[in-house]
Amino acid sequence: MGDKRFNRRNFFKIVGAAGVATGTAALLPKDAIFAKSRKEGKGGLSQEVRPGELDDYYGFWSGGHSGEVRVIGVPSMREISRIPVFNTDVASGWGITNESKALLRGRAGGDTHHVHGSYKDGVYDGKYLFVNDKLNNRMARIRIDYMEVDAIVDVPNIQGAHGLFPQRYPRTEWVVLNSEFQTPVPNDASNKKAFDNPQEYYGMHTIIDAEKMEIVCQVMLDENCDLAATDYQGKYSMTTSYNIEKGVTISEMLASDYDYMLVFHWGRIKKALAAGKYRKVNGVKVLEGRKGRSDIVLRIPVPKNPHGINISPDGKYAVCCGKVSPTVTVVELDRIDLAYAGKIKPEECIVAQPYVGLGPLHTTFDGRGNAITSLFIDSTNVKWNIAKAIEAEKKGKEAKKENPHIVDVLDIHYQVGHIMATMAETREADGKWLVSLNKVSKDRYLNVGPLKPENDQLIDISGEKLRLVHDSPAYIEPHDCIMVRRDLIESKVKHRYEMFDHPLAVTKSGVERKGKKVTIRMTANAPVYGLQEARVKKGDEVTLIVTNHDEIVDLSNGVAISNYNINFVIAPYQTKSVTFTADRPGVHWIYCTNFCHALHLEMRMRLIVEV
Amino acid sequence: MSKCFVLLILFVNLYGATLEAGQWKFAEHRYKYKLEDVLEADRFVEKDRYWEAYKNQDLAGYVCLSKDWTRNLVGYSGKHMETLIGMNTEGVITGVKLIFHSEPIVLIGLKDANYLKFLKQYPGKNIRKDMTVGKEISVDAITGATVTAVVQNAIVQKTAREVALRTGLMNVSKRLGRTVRQEFTPLTWKELVETSAVRNIVVPAEELGIEGPEDFLNLYFGPATIPSIGRNLLGDQVFEETLGKLAKGESAIVIFSNGNGSFKGSGFARGGIFDRFNIEQENRVYIFRDKDYRILTDIKAEGAPAIKEGGVFIVRGGDFDPARPFKFNLILSYRVQTKKEFRSFKVEYKLPDRFLE
Repeated sequence: MGDKRFNRRNFFKIVGAAGVATGTAALLPKDAIFAKSRKEGKGGLSQEVRPGELDDYYGFWSGGHSGEVRVIGVPSMREISRIPVFNTDVASGWGITNESKALLRGRAGGDTHHVHGSYKDGVYDGKYLFVNDKLNNRMARIRIDYMEVDAIVDVPNIQGAHGLFPQRYPRTEWVVLNSEFQTPVPNDASNKKAFDNPQEYYGMHTIIDAEKMEIVCQVMLDENCDLAATDYQGKYSMTTSYNIEKGVTISEMLASDYDYMLVFHWGRIKKALAAGKYRKVNGVKVLEGRKGRSDIVLRIPVPKNPHGINISPDGKYAVCCGKVSPTVTVVELDRIDLAYAGKIKPEECIVAQPYVGLGPLHTTFDGRGNAITSLFIDSTNVKWNIAKAIEAEKKGKEAKKENPHIVDVLDIHYQVGHIMATMAETREADGKWLVSLNKVSKDRYLNVGPLKPENDQLIDISGEKLRLVHDSPAYIEPHDCIMVRRDLIESKVKHRYEMFDHPLAVTKSGVERKGKKVTIRMTANAPVYGLQEARVKKGDEVTLIVTNHDEIVDLSNGVAISNYNINFVIAPYQTKSVTFTADRPGVHWIYCTNFCHALHLEMRMRLIVEV
Repeated sequence: MSKCFVLLILFVNLYGATLEAGQWKFAEHRYKYKLEDVLEADRFVEKDRYWEAYKNQDLAGYVCLSKDWTRNLVGYSGKHMETLIGMNTEGVITGVKLIFHSEPIVLIGLKDANYLKFLKQYPGKNIRKDMTVGKEISVDAITGATVTAVVQNAIVQKTAREVALRTGLMNVSKRLGRTVRQEFTPLTWKELVETSAVRNIVVPAEELGIEGPEDFLNLYFGPATIPSIGRNLLGDQVFEETLGKLAKGESAIVIFSNGNGSFKGSGFARGGIFDRFNIEQENRVYIFRDKDYRILTDIKAEGAPAIKEGGVFIVRGGDFDPARPFKFNLILSYRVQTKKEFRSFKVEYKLPDRFLE
């Protein structure tokens, strides 16, 4: 798309002016690259990233029930990497090695929906990513320097751990995690009388300490909690709730004509914690958040069964999507305190409720005062102006009928869930690219059988009109993503591990026996392992620890044990270990699975399990 | 035999243990009905899958239940929308009553009242005349639910016409008996167009009052199973594979287009039904489902243009005859600024003589 030659010319012009003979992107000031490389006039961004060129954004995609996180280059939409999180990855050994098992604690399956980065002053600080597991009710933290999970916190008392959002200001100290399914609290045999009484099921808004990865507290509610958001002042977290009815069937959940946007007052939460106003359930401090029993939660009525909640980059508005209502509800955050103080009614925080189309689910922002909302039923993305929507609301019904706020409508293929614009969840929303994460991709790709890919569509939003630029298939099933300007991440990501960060790093290969327990320590340095053979006896509990000593960046080795269902990969200076019972006598070759050298095939050693 | 039917329907329990996995129970609506709800009469006589209605001993018309005639027409929910239909002896619809549906219109912010309002358009319409969604039948009452509208329209139209044929109210001419020439003649794109083997519908953007330099839609269609048409358009492989998918007496049509507009739309993606086009022959309506469709990405005829969208669509049922004239209905959806609009087009297709024996 677009005239790339023009770009190249511009690009080299800059290089020439700087007097550099062989230009590399790294030599140029970030802003220069950013401003010149892809902008082709208003609304004409080029998606092309030629061989050898780099993308402008790191895209972090949740992998849905694949349990992983994916790293996608934007705008090329090339999948650059996968970060295993709540899954077993037989390629990298996640879920197989002792290190990963210690984090997964026996549950190597999951359902990731939302990935968000840690913040400083409303912009990503490049330190962490946080991701939920709706299946097993936990939250993982990914350290961006190694792009790997370093902590997982299990969250008791909740189910359907769905909406997740980190604190944006002044920095991410807390992360909130919502429970979408109401359950008895506690949900165990001690409370069995509640099993058949949905009135005794509760939702929870969980607050997690981002650094310690420990639960700070939970706020207990009658309502369920769907999507989550935090403001830009460090004062509130928010959620939508679609089941204030405490229904357990679809009909019951659809019964009420309204539901809520819930606001949580962090100052009051801290106060309640300090005052000891909580009870402990499964070791977690549970605060009372139910209506009439607590001053922590503000309930703003919105049309029934809302879905997404997103905060405008200027920090002024929360936008709740109507889902079964063809409207979005715009809440002015400056009014929240007035409502908490009882000076206005909660519903008076609403400043507009414009029509957007059928099935609004999520909203994102271009940083120029416009919002873009995904419409599931209409199969469109609609761009609308926030100020115009508020103005029309003030003018009244007749003005609203004209829908003066709607700027453009774009058909997508086919059923959109989340949408996200570049940097849209930060103060620095830049209005360049939008990704529409669509379900159902009939016709868009070669047929690969009954289970077809999802369809992520890339849309240029730099102009007035939304312009569809590219389709990319996604294996089941990303839900949400963020796209982070590369300069915020690039310098934080490392090429190699610190060898001695791992307490078991091996510098000298050898076999050590303590009774029935055998430890095999081994270096790897392509194309040889530190040992040519290791002998154990049938029935021994064997721990194999391998450290990659290769000096060359990107030279990883694999370690596969024939017939023992074990494989993992070690990057330069990385150490991984596995423990297994040597229950099969015989000669078992341990071999390198990750191509490493001209003699890669010869990189193997014998594990001899003696009778 | 004089008796007044009062059919009592068991109400489905919307709540609790009767919920079945995967059913649209939450969207289900079932209504009680009496035959006189759709046709005023003092006596109904049950016939084979319809009733004769009498008023003062005179035949006043007919009443029928759609599920007896068009059960295979299913909506977005995958279920048939059971409809009670009445018409007088002139073929004028006297009443239409929805008895059961589970279309999830609640999800698009619509109430059942909207659906019932949609159906209020039918009384007074003569079944001999055109009843096309977007033309004679407006979708305004249930905007957004075009799959529901198109299928519901087909149900009313086809059921009423089938009953009219049965009662002799309408006649269907027997197949003309002309046979399609099986001999294959290679034809270029130019020849296919000039001989009217494929028909063309051009919708200029200007005509719709929308921006865009090119034609909003430039669409071609033709019968895919006529050797000198289908084989030239589709190439040997797709042509033969298409024939291989047909049951005895079945046929297929090929449709393709260029322009910003789309004849496929997106309704089929989730609803399984193509809601922007259908064909009619001898008062029968044929709507197309995704399972009877194959994507077409290029036209093989020499000199054919590149296409943006295309498909081969099987006409199921075995009562469609490509050798006889048929009508192609296009219900085009587009936006003027940000407002959604519909425009319908009806084009007749007549197989040129050179393709017949």
